[in-house]
Amino acid sequence: MADSFTLPLRPLIEDRDRPDTLPAEIAQINNQWGSFRDVNEEVLRTKIAEEYKDDLDEDENNKNASDLDSTERLEQLYKRRKDIIDFATQAHMEAMFAVDFISLLLSKDTPRQAETSMSPFLKQIAPLGSLNAEVVNPPPKPDSTTKDISAVSRGWRIQNFNGAANKLLQAASRLETEVASETRYWNEVLTVKEKGWKVSRLPREKQALGVQYGFLEATPIFRDRGLASLRRAENGSLILDKGLIPAKARFVRVRVMQDGQLVGLSNSTTPTNDEETIESRILQARDTLYEEELFHELVREARATASYGVTTRRNLIRIPASDNLEILLDLVDANENDPQPDQDISQNGTRIAEGLSHTIRILLAYAHRQNLHRRTLLPLPLTPRKRTIPEHQLFRPALAYIQHMSHVLWLQSFLKDISGVLHSAALDIPAYTKHVFSTRLTKTSSTPTAEAVVERFLVPFESTFSGKLLTPRGSFSIAIRTYLSSPPFGTNFEVSCTMPDYPDSKSPGRLSLREEVEAAITHLLLLDVVFTTSSNGLPPPKPEKDTKENPVWEAVYPQHGELVLSSSNPEKHKKIKIALSRHELSLQTYTVRCIDGSGRGHWEQPSQTPKHYTWGTPLACHQSLMAVVREASS
Amino acid sequence: MHEVLLFASVPAHQHYELLQQLAGLTAMQPRHCLERRLIFKAYRKPGLMAGRTGASQDIQSGDLQRLNKMLNGSMYYTQVVGPVTEKDFGAAIDSDMHMDGTDEKPEAYRYDYEHQPWRLEFRDIPEAGTRSAVTSRQMSSSSLPSGDVMPVMSAWGYNFVNEHVVEGDLFVHNEIVIFLQRVLQYPTDQEPSQPRQQMPPLKDMMPLEKSGSYVLQASITVQDGSNQETMKLASQHLFGLREQLKSVIRLEQADRLSLDTRAK
Amino acid sequence: MSKPTQEQIKILEQSRQRLVQLTRSLGSLISSLHSSDPLPPWSSLQSQASIISNNLLSVSEQLSEQRDLFTSLVAYPSPEYPGRTQAPTLEQLLRTKLDPRVEDWVARGRAAGSDNGPSQSTIPSPSRLVEAESADHKLSEAELAQLWEWAPLEANQEARRRNWGGNYTLEEREMGIENVVTGLKRQLEDDLGSDEESEEEDEDDGKEEMDIVGVHRKSVGGGLEFDIAVRHPHPVKPFVPLDDILKYMTTGRLQ
Repeated sequence: MADSFTLPLRPLIEDRDRPDTLPAEIAQINNQWGSFRDVNEEVLRTKIAEEYKDDLDEDENNKNASDLDSTERLEQLYKRRKDIIDFATQAHMEAMFAVDFISLLLSKDTPRQAETSMSPFLKQIAPLGSLNAEVVNPPPKPDSTTKDISAVSRGWRIQNFNGAANKLLQAASRLETEVASETRYWNEVLTVKEKGWKVSRLPREKQALGVQYGFLEATPIFRDRGLASLRRAENGSLILDKGLIPAKARFVRVRVMQDGQLVGLSNSTTPTNDEETIESRILQARDTLYEEELFHELVREARATASYGVTTRRNLIRIPASDNLEILLDLVDANENDPQPDQDISQNGTRIAEGLSHTIRILLAYAHRQNLHRRTLLPLPLTPRKRTIPEHQLFRPALAYIQHMSHVLWLQSFLKDISGVLHSAALDIPAYTKHVFSTRLTKTSSTPTAEAVVERFLVPFESTFSGKLLTPRGSFSIAIRTYLSSPPFGTNFEVSCTMPDYPDSKSPGRLSLREEVEAAITHLLLLDVVFTTSSNGLPPPKPEKDTKENPVWEAVYPQHGELVLSSSNPEKHKKIKIALSRHELSLQTYTVRCIDGSGRGHWEQPSQTPKHYTWGTPLACHQSLMAVVREASS
Repeated sequence: MHEVLLFASVPAHQHYELLQQLAGLTAMQPRHCLERRLIFKAYRKPGLMAGRTGASQDIQSGDLQRLNKMLNGSMYYTQVVGPVTEKDFGAAIDSDMHMDGTDEKPEAYRYDYEHQPWRLEFRDIPEAGTRSAVTSRQMSSSSLPSGDVMPVMSAWGYNFVNEHVVEGDLFVHNEIVIFLQRVLQYPTDQEPSQPRQQMPPLKDMMPLEKSGSYVLQASITVQDGSNQETMKLASQHLFGLREQLKSVIRLEQADRLSLDTRAK
Repeated sequence: MSKPTQEQIKILEQSRQRLVQLTRSLGSLISSLHSSDPLPPWSSLQSQASIISNNLLSVSEQLSEQRDLFTSLVAYPSPEYPGRTQAPTLEQLLRTKLDPRVEDWVARGRAAGSDNGPSQSTIPSPSRLVEAESADHKLSEAELAQLWEWAPLEANQEARRRNWGGNYTLEEREMGIENVVTGLKRQLEDDLGSDEESEEEDEDDGKEEMDIVGVHRKSVGGGLEFDIAVRHPHPVKPFVPLDDILKYMTTGRLQ
């Protein structure tokens, strides 16, 4: 019987049975498995494997069942406990009888010692030494009895050996799976670690391992979610604890709408990986966490920029970017198949969407770095007021870029149009030069390159256009500046010009509306044309003529495009009126009758039906402007 | 402004590990700091002497006593602190260049005392009888003109006492500044009467504490020391740090008298 | 018919003592079961079971060694026994018939062990004695005896060849434990045969051990958690007290 004590390899439930007498156990085994005759190693192994599989299935299938199980198990536990106590009590009683018996027997010869082990009850009823013993010569026992005893003993020995062997085998295979599981678990942990992930104990649960995949400098609520525990599944494979990890891969989608039509769409940043490796799970968790933080910060920024017309509604951010462009940002599942039709998607739209998509992510990474800088600066004195962290600049720089580009393109096309008009009148205005994004950055040596590159994106954008005018030494320049991250918000145009020969002309200065800019430049060019006409409008004076008498086209009202060629005959002053717009240059010639020709409007008194010339339109004049002027002069 | 602080003595053998642990705790790399610290002591200006005792007991009490107290009370040790770099130690001073005619390499680094930035750091004696287990004291910090501070300081009634260098590593843990520092003394016995124009090589500087131990100082500055809520919050932050570090080091309140800045 | 000799009484006394021990250990098991809910710690249960088992063994050894004496000894009540009033107790004391449950147990043993017992042939033993035999082969009594004589020794030897605890495997030890990369900063002792429990760091580890006996489930330290208990061979206490350093920093003087 003593041999039945097995090695301590059993789970708790087995230990509970330990004081159980073997009969119960054997009976149980017989009931459950049938006779030992049918038991062999192979049968046991398959049985173990099946049970193991069942366990796994159960675990996976119904989590609710585990609650039920636990109450059932508890009931069972108490039942077993009672069994143990019953058996032990009975054994104790039997043993007590034996002690009482032998104590009473001995009380005759060694009363003092024997009395100590007699039960109080027996002491009460039986006087010491009231049991005698005699040694007799018993008749020899019949053979059958001896044989019977040895059969019983053999029977139990066989059964017990069987039992012990089974338990050892079970324990061995259990150990084997356990070792395999542990090996697998630790190998996977090592793989995770070797990939460069930070593996550490969990702060709150020191028995468990965790992997740090989040971003230390993220907003605290996201930073604290960047840790997942690495649990061990039954079979040893690594389980990333689902507690904190976003269940699905999500990403911030950028859509570009042009006139209400979808023209560009950013794709999920993470390649959808069907392979469910731990590494890919961690990566997905990290990416999704980043995306969620990104969206959180975008919403914060959107609220701060409501004055630009940015709206947030139901997890959708709408940003009016420029002209007919609108940007939509939302957080969506990465694997969601987008049913949007492809035909409207333009290459340009996609480029904007992709560009913006990369920009906001890079800028969040940059914001993380800024957080680190801020966090490690000497802290300001503590005050009762809570400091608010300013919103990160995520879409604003891109928005500024888009706006800036839109203005640059508009100005470019305007200049092209208007210079085209001038060219068609053979006014050869020199080509202008432009510097798009000409912002100079003061490079501070301490900034790492990666940050310096991003910083270029956060300063106000500036583009400059400059060129020469028709008038000698005349020049103009236009600077477009867009500020979205610092006041003054928005875009302004600084238009300036120099016409040394005409000191009265003034630079228009800082303008903010395109119409104003268009008007200012048109006006500037009109002046340029007027002055050019004034100085070159006559055929070169003949050498024999007196230079003093040389008449000139005088720019009487340059801002109105009017020039007068004075004549000795007060009735025959000749007049030219020039008008310039983006698409058209027009000219009228006529004679006026007033005294010096300087009268305007009603005082102009045209004496002849004006002749009209236009350039830049389909019905354009084929002569050059100068030719027309010369013709008018004669 | 107020300052609440806790201190700990860090034995030499623990220094390196503590650096690692603090880097882990604060999630930042230690920022190495070297500071020149000039100690100045206020002196009583002639003519402002407090009334002599003994003449009349009646006059002694009352106004005169108050005046006396005020004048005595305003006499403090104060520090002038200037950040320096490792290169500043053992470097030639700037004015040398013109003096000797030898061809020195033009790029040889020079310590420019004339442009050494300074700030005046005033600390009051820690408040007595506070129930809280932190050191708390009034403080102020202000910039001084660069270069020679002696004229300014003596104009304000301060004598130069001594100077030393503090070397250490700084960490920022939320509002808490953690400074793991030690005092270095200049290698000469005699005490100069004014700040040095030139500094010996760093390796010649001798730690005040010969076993190489460091002092850990954790501090939070509080804008308004009369705001009990904020002061309490600051103390709680420090206690939180003390708890986090308790298995490594024992952060404690300093002995009040060891931080007594009153000039006697 | 003779009175038991002094020698025989001594043997009886030994039996009494062994039985007393058995009763005590059973009693203590019962009381520990009653005093804990639901069960006492498994390790304590196990050690109690093992004590009881040893006590049983010692009683059983005594019984078989002194078989001759016990079969020839007859007990009977003396006239002093109040036989008239306390007969049931006497019957109980002198009973030789087995308890029905025990009878049942014997019967099952008899069934299993009677000639050509049902299960002996299918012992899943790796023994050489059976490996060449067909599955239906029934071991003779002599073969069984031989097997049983061989098996415990062999099992014991096999067990001794294993190291049932410790920080290193046999393989690692043969390789030289100084070459093992544990990833731990602290030194692991090569504690052959030392008690597992004594090296637990955390008091609550004990419960965890239930699932995987002998396999330490310890997480690797790191991250923000500090393993503080690094011992220095020669720690030097600072000479200058902290207060003096602060004093110096405040006034420029040590005194």
